[in-house]
Amino acid sequence: MNHVFYETFTRHNHAEGIKAHSTHYCPGCGHGLIHKFLSQSIAELGIQDRSVAISPVGCSVFMYYYMNVGNLQAAHGRAPVVALGQKVARPDSIVVSYQGDGDLASIGLAEIISVAQMGLPITVIFVNNSTYGMTGGQMAPTTLIGQKTATCPDGRTPSMGQPMKVAEIIAGLDGPVYVERVALFDAKNRMRAKKAIKKALEVQMAGLGFTFIEVVSECPVQLKLDPVKASEWVQEKMLPVYPLGVKKDTTAEITEPPVINRPPYEYQSLFREIGTSDHQVPRFAAGFPSHLDSEDVGIKFAGSGGDGAQTAALLLTRAALQEGFDSTHIPSYGPESRGGTSYADVHVAKEVLSPAVPNPHILVAFNAPSLVKFAPSVLPGGIILYDSAVIFEVPPVPEGVKVYGIPFAEIAQNMGKRILKNVVCLGAFCAATRIFPEDTFLESLRHGLKKDPKIQEINRQAFFEGIKAFHAAYPQA
Amino acid sequence: MTTEVKSKSNRPKPFLLPQYCKGCGRCIVSCPKKCIHFTGEVNPETGCVPVAVDYEACIACGTCFNACPEPYALHPDDIRYFWELPQEEQAQAPREVLPVASPHPDQRLPLPPTQPLMIKGTYASAIGALLAGCRHFFGYPITPSTEGAELMAKILPHIEGVFIQAVSEVAAVNYMYGCGGAGQPCMTFTSSPGFSLMLEGVSYMIGAQVPGVIVNIMRGGPGLGNIAPEQSDIKLVCRGLGHGNTHALALAPADPQEMLDLTMEAFRLAFKYRQPVIILGDGYLGQVTSQVRLPEYMIQPGVPEWAVAGDREHRANLITSIALDDRDLEAFNMQLNATYAQMAEEEQRADLFMTDDCEVLLVAANTPSRMAKGAIRTLRAQGIKAGLFRPITLWPFPIKYFLPLLERNLRRIVVVEASHGQLEDELRLALSHAGVTELPPIGRVQRLGGILPQSQEIVEAVTAMEVQG
Repeated sequence: MNHVFYETFTRHNHAEGIKAHSTHYCPGCGHGLIHKFLSQSIAELGIQDRSVAISPVGCSVFMYYYMNVGNLQAAHGRAPVVALGQKVARPDSIVVSYQGDGDLASIGLAEIISVAQMGLPITVIFVNNSTYGMTGGQMAPTTLIGQKTATCPDGRTPSMGQPMKVAEIIAGLDGPVYVERVALFDAKNRMRAKKAIKKALEVQMAGLGFTFIEVVSECPVQLKLDPVKASEWVQEKMLPVYPLGVKKDTTAEITEPPVINRPPYEYQSLFREIGTSDHQVPRFAAGFPSHLDSEDVGIKFAGSGGDGAQTAALLLTRAALQEGFDSTHIPSYGPESRGGTSYADVHVAKEVLSPAVPNPHILVAFNAPSLVKFAPSVLPGGIILYDSAVIFEVPPVPEGVKVYGIPFAEIAQNMGKRILKNVVCLGAFCAATRIFPEDTFLESLRHGLKKDPKIQEINRQAFFEGIKAFHAAYPQA
Repeated sequence: MTTEVKSKSNRPKPFLLPQYCKGCGRCIVSCPKKCIHFTGEVNPETGCVPVAVDYEACIACGTCFNACPEPYALHPDDIRYFWELPQEEQAQAPREVLPVASPHPDQRLPLPPTQPLMIKGTYASAIGALLAGCRHFFGYPITPSTEGAELMAKILPHIEGVFIQAVSEVAAVNYMYGCGGAGQPCMTFTSSPGFSLMLEGVSYMIGAQVPGVIVNIMRGGPGLGNIAPEQSDIKLVCRGLGHGNTHALALAPADPQEMLDLTMEAFRLAFKYRQPVIILGDGYLGQVTSQVRLPEYMIQPGVPEWAVAGDREHRANLITSIALDDRDLEAFNMQLNATYAQMAEEEQRADLFMTDDCEVLLVAANTPSRMAKGAIRTLRAQGIKAGLFRPITLWPFPIKYFLPLLERNLRRIVVVEASHGQLEDELRLALSHAGVTELPPIGRVQRLGGILPQSQEIVEAVTAMEVQG
């Protein structure tokens, strides 16, 4: 068989009567011819089983009644992304997005341009008949200046939009490899149209890239012309605006065709990318730090962006999880997060209920505004740890709250890396709160920071500097 | 109906079936020997005036075949389609048998034990998708969902998957339509304004029965709103999922572990029902980091029998949401309704926390449910027997787990939510459909604009309600 039309069009009105073997197109419509050339090309190339046709919204919405290939019908204008979604899902398929001028050149402009630029091997057939056929002959992006339609009854003027020369636009993009405009009005041009469609499919089969065929076509009913006159009108009126020919062909120059991945579905590579580990982390703590709270300790780290509050909070969360407790970290996320502030709430609990920490047991403040803001919210008997290198005045605190100042920034500066101040802080935090043993934090640092041994070592040193500074400043604590 | 015509040369001559000729005359113009002409008589079957061929003059050049826009009006006379044969011969005629797809089920691949991960909610959801066999991601960046997409962009190319940053949310959901229509598990991450844009596509997915998972990390609205957490899209997901008779399973995780587990489950449900599934998270849940355990298996997806998979056995398949005939469309909607009924029957999920003896029942989903749990601990310390009903499926509302609680000695129900009654409306509607008319008073704790109700204000609100009686 030299075509791939269904033997019987069972989807066309349940194949009742003559609809079993005839199309829904009006006399003289170009769609039937374009379907025929696509159908013949698929048959001649032997790709019927691999082919997938995307029917658009417009008169050709029912292309799937006729084409005996895999069929998807797309929303208005979205056929190119539906086509590409299908293609990347099944890279062996040969996908054709078939679209009219309202579908492609109006509502679907973003889709066609972006998909064309991606250059992946699919084929788009664009039918330009200068009007909206299905909805009853309204102005299309391709309507000619002066042409009368239902929505430009006095003729299109430039301010309604100039005729869109889509093939030239697509050819002007870097993504496509083959763009041609063809027509249907005589035998010679029909042969060219067929040849172009077949070539586009061959280019796709070779995986070379994105191909685009614009077909200047007849819509006699909406042009209010008989079919023969409509063909003449296309030739006389449309061709000067939409000149035929190859607009771009770089297929001979392609040396590295685009690649579409085919996933192997094995866990090894997935685990590598996720960063899973079967390393059993040792535990060092004797039990839950119940000297801070019997079941749920809330900690707030507060500073500005760059202080490392989030990293310190995550290292603490990791430490708690290593010890087998429940723990959460949440960066501040609300109106108060404006202006470069960076707050983090951490729970170390037997079971975390609410992850927010409106009233912390422990507050760590990296700057004065944070201390002023959160000091009053600390629970009675709680702990405040602040950077005394940058905070010189301590506001009144709730009764029984212990306040410790350690110059994190200065210690880090003396080590030559101010960025280490949050790890210095973590050392002081460990010493001041005795929440977990030192080894718990060291293990957390090993797994939570970059694996570079030099970085590991300097962080380790910073952590011990923090501990040392705390014991020097508060020997009785 | 037709007349046998013998060619004079070995080239076939045109064979005309007048009932399929629309009389456009393209063949007349194309014929170099001018041997085709209009008959001048209207065909009673079509109302068109067909052409006729003068076979004496015809030289079998074949030009007219490719001038005829109809597949079967004018074909070479050396071909006879089965339906052209007399009735008694049709059964014997060679006919193509359309392929029938066989099942290619998913495979469960066992995973070795690993240590728990320490990740944020959006990452957990992305990893859940990967473990469910999703290797195709389509998305458009929007805060606060973007980190999920970013993790996919980082991982997928390294495991031979596909990540496409779409030109818009509209495009993203239609990539899913194409990919899901091909039978592959695929997903997107988005947030409220982006989700609004996707709804047309969601309606098409439902109408065309295309599976896919959409993770909506809800943020403050309306309009551009802000990027802080709100439960702003419960109404949209439960009552306004695009145009038409639409529903979809909507899952509401409350912590990163559930983000992973429910995303994996969402893919299973999407393919079980051949429908999209929505995961509703909130911006807080997306950001919160905690421990997440991996499951004991991952999925290698099969090929569903209905997929347009670009091969012979799936060639007969069609993905579309059109049913032009009104009876066909009604029948399809009845079929959809049956699917919705099955979902409502089989997929209700809820979490009950301290409800055995509870007298004040809090109702909350997503992150506010965690604040509610915190409040319950304090309320119980104050002597108020509070408990929590947490819907895990927002659609269908898990009413069958709620109704037994009404038989307890409930003094009041308090709906805690980061929206203006969107969750409460779902509860009330479900109660109404269940025929419940006698209810304890329903109180509410609501915050909006990106502020979540905190445990302490829930405690204060409930205490005040209890004092007022």
